[in-house]
Amino acid sequence: MINVPAIAVLGLHKSFGGNQAVQGVNFEVKQGEIFSLLGPNGAGKTTTISMLSCLLRPDEGDAHVMGHSIRSDPTGVKSVLGVVPQDLALYEDLTARENLSFWGKMYGLRGSKLKLRVDEVLEVIGLRDRANERVNKYSGGMKRRVNIGVALLHKPKVIYMDEPTVGIDPQSRRNILDSVVALKNEGMTVLYTTHYMEEAQELSDHVAIMDHGKLIACGTHEELVKLVGQQTRIDLTLNGDSENVMGAWKNIDGVSRVSSEDGLVSVLVKDSNQILPHLFEAAAQLSIRITSVDIREPNLEALFLHLTGRALRD
Amino acid sequence: MKAFDIAFKDLTRSFRSAFAVVFMFGVPLLVTGMFYFMFGNIASNGEFTLPKTKVVIANLDEGGPKFQVNPKNIPGGKKADTMGDLIVNILQSEDMADLIEVTLVPDAETARSSVDNQINQVAIIIPSDFSHQFADVDGKAVIEFYQDPTLTLGPAIMRSILNRFMDGMAGVKIAVNVFLDEADSSEAMLTGQVVQQYLKVSLSENENVEEELLDVRAPSSGEIDKETETQNLLLNIIGPIMGGMMVFYAYFTGTSTAQSILREEEERTLPRLFTTPTSQTTILAGKFLSVFMTVGVQVFVLLVSAHFLFKIQWGDYLSVILMSAGIIFSASSFGIFVNSFLKNTKQGGVLFGGVLTVTGMIGMIKIFAMNSPIAAKMGDTISLLVPQGWAIRGLMQAMNSEPINEILITMLASLLWSAVFFAVGVWRFNKRYT
Repeated sequence: MINVPAIAVLGLHKSFGGNQAVQGVNFEVKQGEIFSLLGPNGAGKTTTISMLSCLLRPDEGDAHVMGHSIRSDPTGVKSVLGVVPQDLALYEDLTARENLSFWGKMYGLRGSKLKLRVDEVLEVIGLRDRANERVNKYSGGMKRRVNIGVALLHKPKVIYMDEPTVGIDPQSRRNILDSVVALKNEGMTVLYTTHYMEEAQELSDHVAIMDHGKLIACGTHEELVKLVGQQTRIDLTLNGDSENVMGAWKNIDGVSRVSSEDGLVSVLVKDSNQILPHLFEAAAQLSIRITSVDIREPNLEALFLHLTGRALRD
Repeated sequence: MKAFDIAFKDLTRSFRSAFAVVFMFGVPLLVTGMFYFMFGNIASNGEFTLPKTKVVIANLDEGGPKFQVNPKNIPGGKKADTMGDLIVNILQSEDMADLIEVTLVPDAETARSSVDNQINQVAIIIPSDFSHQFADVDGKAVIEFYQDPTLTLGPAIMRSILNRFMDGMAGVKIAVNVFLDEADSSEAMLTGQVVQQYLKVSLSENENVEEELLDVRAPSSGEIDKETETQNLLLNIIGPIMGGMMVFYAYFTGTSTAQSILREEEERTLPRLFTTPTSQTTILAGKFLSVFMTVGVQVFVLLVSAHFLFKIQWGDYLSVILMSAGIIFSASSFGIFVNSFLKNTKQGGVLFGGVLTVTGMIGMIKIFAMNSPIAAKMGDTISLLVPQGWAIRGLMQAMNSEPINEILITMLASLLWSAVFFAVGVWRFNKRYT
């Protein structure tokens, strides 16, 4: 088991009616690393995770989790797996301790081993003092921590976290990101899905970018940034019709791509210091004022823009 | 084991919900309690209290052939020289004192005007030739009955008493005529003895006129005291109501608890359960088990509570066990069955408001119609079109101490319903999550 990949995904396909949610996805996650699936809403991340959790049966392809096939050995997959779903999946009318005890039983824990593990997890998620309060009395962040705690009870080798920071306050978000790193340090493999580029950038050893059900790029942060060719992204807000000026900017030497979304124009350039005066000059000739400028060094968002022509928005 | 863990978790959740607890136990007991206190007042008196009917009598009977009745045979024990006197004496007897209040007036007009002026409710006018007509073989003895047309119950009771009396007198007349036809002329003097003998029998049969006319007490066997008799009356009303409530709400509980499958799907805990190393069969078995256990606890608690609170006798242990099993299995499987057709819990409103209420009411027709034999028979047949009807039938059979084989047949019918519901429900849920 030492040399097998934690997760090996081999040509997964899944359709819902006429909608192809996942189209031939392949990737591999090494043991003990944090692997992020990055993509906008509707990219196919949750469908991929659902297939890897044996919740959905793939139309085509297979995947192995710690050597167990999701097609032929789902029980084996589930026994090495902890899943933190995107939505809270807890019994709110039970206490945190009752929730953890119940889920522990579902993972096959019993007796003193269960009790010990519940106490340990309560300690890890920082809720030991309030363990006997019903979950519906907790704040959103506390619920999220219990939601994660459930997946840790049986000390899984692989843990899936499906957008665990959606809709929570910055402090709870920080706690969760820290706990993901802590899990990695304990030797767990984490498959993390997010549409927050910063999270993927901060946490991941490897990142796979998904869009429209397809994996469009995969690698380390450095490898992915190289794909953009070390280009810098300049985001500009304009006061006037952007169509004409965008056409003018595309003709400037050193500009590789110009796109617009929600009133924000993004320009990919090789050297922002050299190009920026030309952008202002072209805008002035067309009597368009630039009201804000944001220069971004190469990152995953720039890569997404480079690959899809669209910005990766929240 | 995991199935039991799931079931116990659901049981804990169900009984933590104040709404569910009130619905499962509070409402059936409360409704029955209301009936208990409502009927308890009537039952504790042992009888319905009716106001006395005010009767005015104008006895104008002048008598006829020599006629005397042994005072021993007349309630009140007074001597009667005429047939009119006989009627007056009977109506003034102590036995009638609880029912009627008699006033005597000298003439018919005064009697009628007394009713017209609403001083009395009924006027009885005995004509002057009443005894004569009675004695005549071809005669027609008629009493005038004059009543306040706005009243019903009092005059009806009075009319009934008089009809009984007149029927008796007609019998005497026939007996005398037959005797005179058959006897020799030398035996004509024995006519009086024939009349005496007939009156002795017929009047003694009428000693408890009030009781015969107004017996509203529950059937009882053997010698029982007043308190027990009162309790029997109450239980004959309260027992079926409590049973009906129990069945009605057991079906609600079965359906509501089975809905937790859909609720867990919406709360995302069911998909999460499917990510654990627990098979789908075990998960669904646990969910189904929780439905049976919740309904089981409800039925047990209601049976015991009703027994102690309202002193309801559900029947012998075996009958109660069979009948309870029928209710639990049919209510639970019905819940699983109907929920398997729902897409989400939002559709549950239609289910509770429509399907459960309508089928529950149909099932309880027999209880609503129990005071009308024809309606009860028809209701019994109609109620068997729904599973609640079979559950209620088993319950009534146990309460009425019917033979165990009869209860067993009803329970088997309930189990047959349950088996069909369960099979369809399980098949649909399995299909949904595969």
